[in-house]
Amino acid sequence: MTQSAQEIRFQGLGVSEGIVIGQVLRMHDGTQRVYRWRIAPADVAAECERFRAAVTLASRQVLAIKEQAEKRFGKDHAYIFDAHLLLLEDEKLIGDVERHITAEHVNAEWAVKVIGDRFLYLYSEIKDDYLRERGSDIEDVMRRLLVAFSGVQSQNRDLSEDAVVVSQDLLPSAVAELDLDHTRALATDTGGWTSHTAILARGVGIPAVVGLRDFYRRTKTGDRIIVDSTRNLVILHPSPATLERYQAETTSRESRPRTAARAETGPARTQDGVAVTLRANVEVPSEFDAVEAYGASGVGLYRSEFLLARRGALVSEDEQRVAYEAIARVAGDHGAVIRLFDLGGDNLREQFQEQEKNPALGLRAIRFGLANESVMREQVRAILRAAANGLLKIVLPMVADLSDVRRAQAIIQEEAKNLRESKINFKEVSVGAMIEVPSAVFMANKIAQVVDFFELGTNDLVQYTLAVDRGNDEVADWFRTLHPAVLHSIDQSLKAGRQADIPVIVCGEMASTPAYVVLLVGLGATDLSMTPSAIPRVRRAIAGIEAESARRIAEDCLNCDTADEVEGLIRDRFTQLWPEVFDSTNLPAPRQSQNRHRSGPGS
Amino acid sequence: MVERTLLIKQRLGLHARAAAKLVRVASAFQSQVQLRRLEGDVTADAKSILSVLMLAAGRGTELQASADGVDEEAAMDAIERLFAEGFGEVEAETSL
Repeated sequence: MTQSAQEIRFQGLGVSEGIVIGQVLRMHDGTQRVYRWRIAPADVAAECERFRAAVTLASRQVLAIKEQAEKRFGKDHAYIFDAHLLLLEDEKLIGDVERHITAEHVNAEWAVKVIGDRFLYLYSEIKDDYLRERGSDIEDVMRRLLVAFSGVQSQNRDLSEDAVVVSQDLLPSAVAELDLDHTRALATDTGGWTSHTAILARGVGIPAVVGLRDFYRRTKTGDRIIVDSTRNLVILHPSPATLERYQAETTSRESRPRTAARAETGPARTQDGVAVTLRANVEVPSEFDAVEAYGASGVGLYRSEFLLARRGALVSEDEQRVAYEAIARVAGDHGAVIRLFDLGGDNLREQFQEQEKNPALGLRAIRFGLANESVMREQVRAILRAAANGLLKIVLPMVADLSDVRRAQAIIQEEAKNLRESKINFKEVSVGAMIEVPSAVFMANKIAQVVDFFELGTNDLVQYTLAVDRGNDEVADWFRTLHPAVLHSIDQSLKAGRQADIPVIVCGEMASTPAYVVLLVGLGATDLSMTPSAIPRVRRAIAGIEAESARRIAEDCLNCDTADEVEGLIRDRFTQLWPEVFDSTNLPAPRQSQNRHRSGPGS
Repeated sequence: MVERTLLIKQRLGLHARAAAKLVRVASAFQSQVQLRRLEGDVTADAKSILSVLMLAAGRGTELQASADGVDEEAAMDAIERLFAEGFGEVEAETSL
């Protein structure tokens, strides 16, 4: 359909591995520039009519989303869309917009924006934190209305077999709308490794390239496209030669791991017999099946803030308990590690807090919990009660030192005592600490004395150790997972765990990338938790190497001066020792100075 | 016209979901239904979700409800029941 157009290549950041050849499906993210123009008095009635038509279209879309959300996330999560529907029927809202069109003789889009902003402003003045946050519902509805004006039909209604969703940005609400069963890949202008889109794409195992900057506006729905996240690349209008090359490549490699046959289970074993436990990271119920399908040994990290993200609300203790019991069932005998709400930072900034100047260094994770004890206590009670019906553990996110750990442990013990006194069925659980900030690394020996296990969150550890925001492409060149400083931090934490004889689970992206996994094993890690779809490739990599050789390479890496040197070293040694396992597609590519997006293996 | 004083019991107050329920219930009656927050003196049309949301009524807020019309008693009873049940949110929703 667009064979005549010139092939264009765009560099981005591959955040979920795979190669897909497909067709562009443009998806508007709902943010729109709104222009104002004057309407002739004679056309006012027609303009109001246009507004009504947009309202009708938007209502139909919300109804469809509501039905889909009910199916995918359960009835409870879909209730919010009922409020959206009522907003679209609201006489006050509709009346105000029509009055504005009539009185000011302006276009309907502008009137929607003016009236919407007015309500949003009133809302922003509300004192109650929780209710104030509900302004986002109004914002969501306004956005949908504005999109409806351009006559955009519900966007993923007719997904072709090979749809590649292309968008400027995919907001969580847009992701909820996506028909993930028919989406082959995602490509977005913005976003980083830890954006919601990236996490979900990895969760369901579809390739994604983000940070393409100026890509969306160059595409048309139906354009042929190749998404190659292993090379951080998107190709629009590929030439016949390119297509042929990619077709050959995609048929020879497993590009859609989720169609793979039932996976192996149990620990992976290196050639020299070192066993490595492979667990799953999960956050959304749609990933639950993947835990078993990919042969994970239980859940190593459950990001509990998902419970809030979907609802945009706090959930009751009972609702949480039911959710945690579901996770425990999925995890089975291996158990599930529930990370207490990692709120704040980039997760749910708008939920509870005023905008912070520097949220990554602000009131987030355990700090948020300790500052909002009632929220934390409720979650702890829900976990303790759920633990009566399945094996659960608690991990404390982003502890900085022993005092964070002690305060959280005191709260957990108090809640256990309360439950006991109230004769409510519960079970005590192991409590671990996330090691993901440098101060916790420095104090790891001490922290290890008082917790039951460690969990290394490598994404945050890299970010905080190097002071680089992974989501910011301006500093992508400084985000070096293989920086010797990062390796030393991991080494020190693993050693502290070994000395205190407590288990250490390594999670984060490092644990899901074969080249990094070898170094982790070399540093002594024997317990990894990753996005479920990564388990087969990590298992294969571990099975192909010897732990002893990995240990020697890791030792040499610790002595390197720079990240470049570490990368060069593993490129040479890995391909030399394990040519069956490693080649240029799964090792960090040599850096070229003009290539700003290179950032690790798969490049 | 009938008037009653109602108290918001549920933890999250009159948030979007609860407000949606209230509007659905109120809209089923012909009578005009209004809610007035005593503190701050804000009045809302119970059939407009935007208007109800603007009450910003958190837990523990007292509201003066009034219904005026042919079915005012029935409307007021239905609304009172909703408030008394905490909008069905107290420990009731356990599905994920």
